[in-house]
This record gives sequence, structure tokens and C-alpha cells, in this order.
Amino acid sequence: MQTATVNHKKLYYPPGGILLWIIIFLELFTFGIALIAMILYSKYEPEIFHNSRLLLNSTFGVINTVFLLTSGFFIAKSVEYFKVSNKSKTLCYLKLTMLGGVLFLLLKSLEYYGKIDAGLTMGYNTFFSFYWMLTLFHVIHVIVGLVILISIYFGIKKENSSTKLEDMEAGATFWHLCDLIWLLLFPVIYLLF
Amino acid sequence: MVLIVLTIIVAIISESNILYTGTLIIVLSIVKFLGVSFYFMELRKSHPFWKLSVLIFVVLFAITVIILI
Repeated sequence: MQTATVNHKKLYYPPGGILLWIIIFLELFTFGIALIAMILYSKYEPEIFHNSRLLLNSTFGVINTVFLLTSGFFIAKSVEYFKVSNKSKTLCYLKLTMLGGVLFLLLKSLEYYGKIDAGLTMGYNTFFSFYWMLTLFHVIHVIVGLVILISIYFGIKKENSSTKLEDMEAGATFWHLCDLIWLLLFPVIYLLF
Repeated sequence: MVLIVLTIIVAIISESNILYTGTLIIVLSIVKFLGVSFYFMELRKSHPFWKLSVLIFVVLFAITVIILI
């Protein structure tokens, strides 16, 4: 574990690295524009959007938000312990973070199963086209985030770990990106219409 | 904990019949967004450029959504 700290007050060194922040903004703009497009489309079919929104289980949405926020808190704690070279606590919080991600994916799978079973697939109507596109794109991010966290976990676990603080912060920042995207998706898709 | 409580409040508001439900949902969600970015992602320790960029994005998004709903 290499815990040399970086001065994040410098313009080119935001927490997680400048390249990741460029990706974050690209992702946020992509999802943001798609959500605004969804709201614009709802103006043409307000009843369809309202009735379709009622077919979603907002309790699942709330629980998934709790899973992601909790795992976001755990990864922040993990980075905190990494900085003070506490390997066991870093790994423990990393495991809890991944558990949050796995629980999110399990509940999402359950939700998707219910929708497919009820015939509410991508072609059902405009609302569900947006629902599937946006939530599936987000799920892909969560899966990629989990792969990154698993690789960091095994990197730290090694006897002579070469994992740097920058790697850890970059992984954590990507994981938080999943939180941020979900915090935009959840209110618009599950609650607004 | 605050973020989780806010999530539950947002869900309750969405089921209620109070005025400006949509605006309230968006405003509370933006508070959560800022909580995650400034505290979990440690943006508060970064250069003002990054703080301002996130703030501008989130305010623009919120205003656009509130105008459109």
C-alpha cells in the first residue's frame, strides 16, 4: 500500500484524477440530457407516462438508493483507512461496499424479472424505452465499478501490495459516479411522472 | 444517515398530494447529489473549478427539470 497523498487543491489533481472527472462530466451530461428528453417526451403522452410510472415499484427504487448510498459511505471509509495504512479495515469496508453493489444488482434483477414477466419490455411504450435504456446503462456502470473494486481488493490483499492511493481514489470516485447517476435517475423515473 | 433519511422523505413526498411535489423531489434529490459529491467524493477539498463545475451542472439540471415538469 502506497499512501503518499496528493494535493487535491491543485486544478489538475481532483480526487480520483482529472481523466476520471472528465468521464464523470461526460456521463452526467449524457444521463442529464437523456432525462430531460424523457421529460419532454412525457409532455406528448402524459397519461401513458403517469400510468407506466405507477407500474414501477418505488419501494425497490428507495431500497436500491439506500444500498448505493450506504456502499458509497463504506467506500469513503475504506479510502479513509487506506490513507492511514490500516489494511484490515480498508479491506473490510471494501467488502461491505461490494456487498452493497451486489445487493443493488440482485434487487434490480428481481425488478427486471417482474417487468419482463409482465410484458413491460423496451418496446412496450416510450416510458419503458427510456426506463430500460437508462437503468440498464446504469447497471453496466455498477458492474464495471464492481470489477474495479474487486481488482483493487485483490491488489491490496497481496503481501507486497503496489496499490497506490491514486488507484484507490480513482476506484472510489468511479463507484461514487454510480451513486450520482442513480441520484438523477431515481427521482425522475420512479417518482416524477 | 442524512442521505438515507432524505431518500425516504422524497419517497413519502412523491406519494402525497402537497403542492409543488415535483419541485420538492428534485430539490431534495439535488441536496443528496451534492452530499455525495462534496463529502463522499471529497470535492470540498478540491480546486474551486471542480466545485463550481459540479454546482453549475446540478443547478442547470434542476432548473431545467423544474421548468419542464
